[in-house]
Amino acid sequence: MAQAVPDPPPSNKKRVKVYELRNSDWFDRGTGFCTAAFIFDEVSRHEIPRVLVQSEDQPERILLETKICKEDGFQKQQDTLIVWTEPATGVDMALSFQEAEGCATIWKFVSNVQAQMLAINCPDDALDDDISVDHFSSSISLPPPTLGNLPEVEASIRSCNVTNAGREAIIKFVISEDYIKQLIPLVEMAEDMEDLASLHKLCNIMKTFILLNDNPIMELVVRDDLMLGVMGALEYDPDFPSHKANHRHWLSKEGRYKEVVHIEDEKVRKKIHIVYRLQYLKDVVLARILDDPTYSVLNALIYYQQSDILQHIQTNPAFLKDLFGIFSAQETSQERKKEAVLFIQQCCATAKCLQPPARTPFYNIMLAHGLLSVITFALRHNDVAVRVAATDVLVSMIDHDPHMIRLSIFRQIAEKQTPLTDSLIDLLLVEVDLGVKAQIADAIKVLLDPGSQNAPVDTSAKAGGEFGIRLRPQVDPQQAEFVKDFYDDSAKRLFKPLVDLKDRENMEFSTHQVSLFIYLIEILCFFVRQHTHHSKYFILSEKLGHRIAQLLSSPEKYLKLNALKFFRNLIGLQDEFYNQQMTQGRLFEPILNLLIETMPRDNLLNSACLEFFDLIKREHIKNIISHLVENYRDKMKDITYVDIFQNFIIRYDQTQGFAISMETSFLDTEEDTPKRPEPGRGNRWENGIKDLDAAEEEYFNTSDDEDDLAARRRESMYDTSPTSKPLVDYPSDEENENPETSTNAADITSDLSSESSASSKPGGEVASNSASLALPPPERLSEKRRREEDEEDEIGKLSLSKRRNSSSSAGSNTSSMLRRKKSFTNHAGGGSTNKPNKIAISLSPAIKTGGDGGGGGGEGGS
Amino acid sequence: MSDLDRAIAQLRACRPIPEAQVRELCHKARELLIEEGNVVTVKAPVTICGDIHGQFHDLMELFRVGGDVPDTNYLFMGDFVDRGFYSLESFLLLLCLKVRYPDRMTLIRGNHESRQITTVYGFYDECLRKYGSANVWRYCCEVFDYLALGAIVLGASTALEPSKQNVPASAASTQDDVDSDIEIEVLSHDGSIIQKFPRGKARGLIGQNNSAAKRSSSPAAKTGPPGTGASGWSRGSTGSSSGAVLCVHGGLSPLIDGVDKIRLLDRKQEVPHEGAMCDLLWSDPDEIDGWGLSPRGAGFLFGADIVKVFNHANDLSMIARAHQLVMEGFKEMFDNSIVTVWSAPNYCYRCGNVAAILELGEDGMGESAHARSNGDVNRSDGGIMKENERVLLAGPARRYRVFQAAPQDSRGMPAKKPVADYFL
Repeated sequence: MAQAVPDPPPSNKKRVKVYELRNSDWFDRGTGFCTAAFIFDEVSRHEIPRVLVQSEDQPERILLETKICKEDGFQKQQDTLIVWTEPATGVDMALSFQEAEGCATIWKFVSNVQAQMLAINCPDDALDDDISVDHFSSSISLPPPTLGNLPEVEASIRSCNVTNAGREAIIKFVISEDYIKQLIPLVEMAEDMEDLASLHKLCNIMKTFILLNDNPIMELVVRDDLMLGVMGALEYDPDFPSHKANHRHWLSKEGRYKEVVHIEDEKVRKKIHIVYRLQYLKDVVLARILDDPTYSVLNALIYYQQSDILQHIQTNPAFLKDLFGIFSAQETSQERKKEAVLFIQQCCATAKCLQPPARTPFYNIMLAHGLLSVITFALRHNDVAVRVAATDVLVSMIDHDPHMIRLSIFRQIAEKQTPLTDSLIDLLLVEVDLGVKAQIADAIKVLLDPGSQNAPVDTSAKAGGEFGIRLRPQVDPQQAEFVKDFYDDSAKRLFKPLVDLKDRENMEFSTHQVSLFIYLIEILCFFVRQHTHHSKYFILSEKLGHRIAQLLSSPEKYLKLNALKFFRNLIGLQDEFYNQQMTQGRLFEPILNLLIETMPRDNLLNSACLEFFDLIKREHIKNIISHLVENYRDKMKDITYVDIFQNFIIRYDQTQGFAISMETSFLDTEEDTPKRPEPGRGNRWENGIKDLDAAEEEYFNTSDDEDDLAARRRESMYDTSPTSKPLVDYPSDEENENPETSTNAADITSDLSSESSASSKPGGEVASNSASLALPPPERLSEKRRREEDEEDEIGKLSLSKRRNSSSSAGSNTSSMLRRKKSFTNHAGGGSTNKPNKIAISLSPAIKTGGDGGGGGGEGGS
Repeated sequence: MSDLDRAIAQLRACRPIPEAQVRELCHKARELLIEEGNVVTVKAPVTICGDIHGQFHDLMELFRVGGDVPDTNYLFMGDFVDRGFYSLESFLLLLCLKVRYPDRMTLIRGNHESRQITTVYGFYDECLRKYGSANVWRYCCEVFDYLALGAIVLGASTALEPSKQNVPASAASTQDDVDSDIEIEVLSHDGSIIQKFPRGKARGLIGQNNSAAKRSSSPAAKTGPPGTGASGWSRGSTGSSSGAVLCVHGGLSPLIDGVDKIRLLDRKQEVPHEGAMCDLLWSDPDEIDGWGLSPRGAGFLFGADIVKVFNHANDLSMIARAHQLVMEGFKEMFDNSIVTVWSAPNYCYRCGNVAAILELGEDGMGESAHARSNGDVNRSDGGIMKENERVLLAGPARRYRVFQAAPQDSRGMPAKKPVADYFL
């Protein structure tokens, strides 16, 4: 494998001393034998030129292993000395040879490699110099292939494939000679002769060509005349000697391409087929061996073709007229209508890959041609596949820009048509397909979300919606009117199944009803958070709290769980209005009963109940505590397997029911109670505090990387959009938002003695438990900021892969190359040294990543 | 139940079951899982497995090496899906087995059992390809929300029971090594011994120089495979109970100082971005003091001191977790107080690692010795360690079975399912 440098080969061991410059002194790292060769790197699967020194007395010890890079600046000094700076560490290194001859050999190898690397970057210079000699030649010439010479062809391609220059040379040759075309007849020939060895060789050659990551070659292999031949060769993978894939069969099968409306332009039709083949290549043929650069090249190609196709469609009025004409009364074929919906669905799915600014005109044109009425038609279709397609289209547009859809709805209202939201509500109530139901529920939420309408195209602002919507929304009047109308009329229809529970004794429901209740409760939770005052009075007047409390006695445990979640949401809001509704309505009683009922068991429902009361304890909601103790003291006295309820009683008794003030907090030191002395957390101040919350949130929203991170995560969510807003529903987020800023040093000390779980927020500097070894959890925000640059970061990869999917332009292409290179060096460093990595928090992320590799983290775990 | 058995058979052949059947399966699984605590109690003997990541054929290999369900009691520590091309078949098979043999199968949640992560790392895409809609993905995600967050293994023996695995008859004669007090035994996929560590000598050995595990094809010559006849070993006399073993996918959380604290979480939700539930699924042990920042963007790094204090305060002898690729399949750290188990060989079809499963034997003392319920609160002292009581509990005897990826020919070429029809 390693290429021999001509006489004398440098791989003959040369005795040498290795030095490293430490504090301007040359430190002797030991004596050994030096080799220089191309060594196969397992991570990159390339052969990389390296210089190695093997220890003299312990041959298994490697004193030095360095990669020869262009920028290393290797220098030969005197006859026996080579010096350079290690690029990864910046350390100056030296090799002192015993013999000048040994030094000369190694030097020849090093300088050859470096010259070759320079030549890649400035090809012009490469030509007029004499460095591109012997085996490093930058051009190759392969014989016309025959079954007989395939082994040689494969071997020479392989040997060229180890250097960048060699790869360039192969690319040049393959394209100029149309070499793939020459290979293709051999596939059939070898198949006829059942010559498996040759087929394996052909497969290897094709794989090598494809993995060169060259756009023109990639375009070649999917070209009409070559595609089947290339796929044929790829069916015989030597890694699976007893298998034969059936790529040709799959790809040549008629009827895979469905043409709803004929596309006149032949070039566009060709592009459609090419995209399909590239995707097949990516998903099936290369799935197992695909590396990041090839993945990027494929995605970039697919992206460009798809943009062109969509561009063609949206600028082709005749085509659009035909397409939307299918939904007119003249068209009678239901099948054709169905296919048209599926076609639009695929257009929208493809449009998701476009850059947001390019998406807007696409959707606008579609809307202008009447997309909304197509959706309304499709939502009522009796074929579930069509309904799924309709919700997909709807959700993809909502994800892109909900305001765009809202404007269309306002137009519908102005024209006295049934607004889309009402159609959605009607459908939600009757829909049986759970997937469609889930998407509709999400769509209703987003369309009625007054806060998420700003900045139509700016995805970063949109993605901040999760946080933005909790801010006091800056509602535009039209939207406000819309929401108001919704509560006057539509909301009653939407939540009617809940309202109808009144006077119902039997809580047995069909699965359909159960799932409907679950979605309604979810939507209501969302409205409670978003529509501050409309939802309050709606819930009050319709007595929805009581109705949902009824569901707590349903025999279906997950329905109970969801009903409980609703109340958990209310409490989490820390809104005195809801707290009062709950205490006055005696709504804690069924929850407490549920806890007692599930108490002996350790199950999910019981934990959820405990968490509910633990929240009251943690947040120290004194009115609720007083209410609980005053009404349910006896019941609570018997619940001793957790300390929550004893704690309520003690707190109440200590204060005789009066507000618990800061002074009483000393009591808590004995108990397991996290206390947060909250001066002025009384009713009167509630609003003031709320405002502070909002201001704080805004601050974090605008300036914090953490939010940015979350935003990018969300963005990637939107990209694939299985559910439109999964992040919205974290009720636990609320706890982290209370300003901790007022806690002074004394409070912190008192916190120290108590348990940490509830009180020490990741963001706070409050120490955890008192065990001397336990250190406080580190500060989170700065952590995330630093993590931004870290490539190994898993959460970060969410956004990375988004970039991959959507916008693999040439730019992101190269950056992914760089990234990959970086991760190679990490791997290499990590792989060779297996010692435990002592990494302190303060180290830079780059070093940190390297350390992870060494720890066996390899691919970053999972 | 015959429907279920049919589904199991079909999934074992790596063929997806129809959507309606998935819905029913998920419904049944939910009924079961809702009755489980956040930390499930499991009694030894049990075989603990790490990440699977949709490598269906390797999961089959795992069952071949570890014994089939219900003969073997399994505990899977999450990350069933993503990355590999058969997440759907792998997860549904495990779920079917859970529903069919609820007491022989424990599944806990990994960080990949999440809507967000699965949309990026493959499971969502796979469901879409295989069913044409995301419904099955939704059903599965719903089940994810119900999965327990951890498990606690009670009654693990401190002495190794002889391997149950059938040993080649020729090797069965060498029985010189079953009597010594072996703490750790590493076996290759065919049941032959690669390494053995007597009690007391094991500390610090495992994990560091585990390279022998890679040479699983040529086991060390001097240690023969254990005999099946178990001379000199009598059940119950040497086997005594060790401390409990906590199993979680990721690791510890600064917000959780006792196992009981986990009970106070409402786990039925998408994995949050921070907080105790997130940390349990995302954290990693690391050679640091105290807590550190995780490069993953969620969870924390935690050092040996944290693990030791936690184990002591909770009467644990060990923590078993998954979440990180280890080339040797398993890696013990911090004086054997925590072990990473990784069960996806040749991860992503290209990492070249071996995989492992961890077998904990049953002590001979019956269930009384360490029986405790999850509701037993205040069992821990809240992490405050009294200096004079600082005794490390005897670790359970551990048998690691190391195995490699299923032979390539047995599985066909791994690939995603191509899109059938296209308009664009």
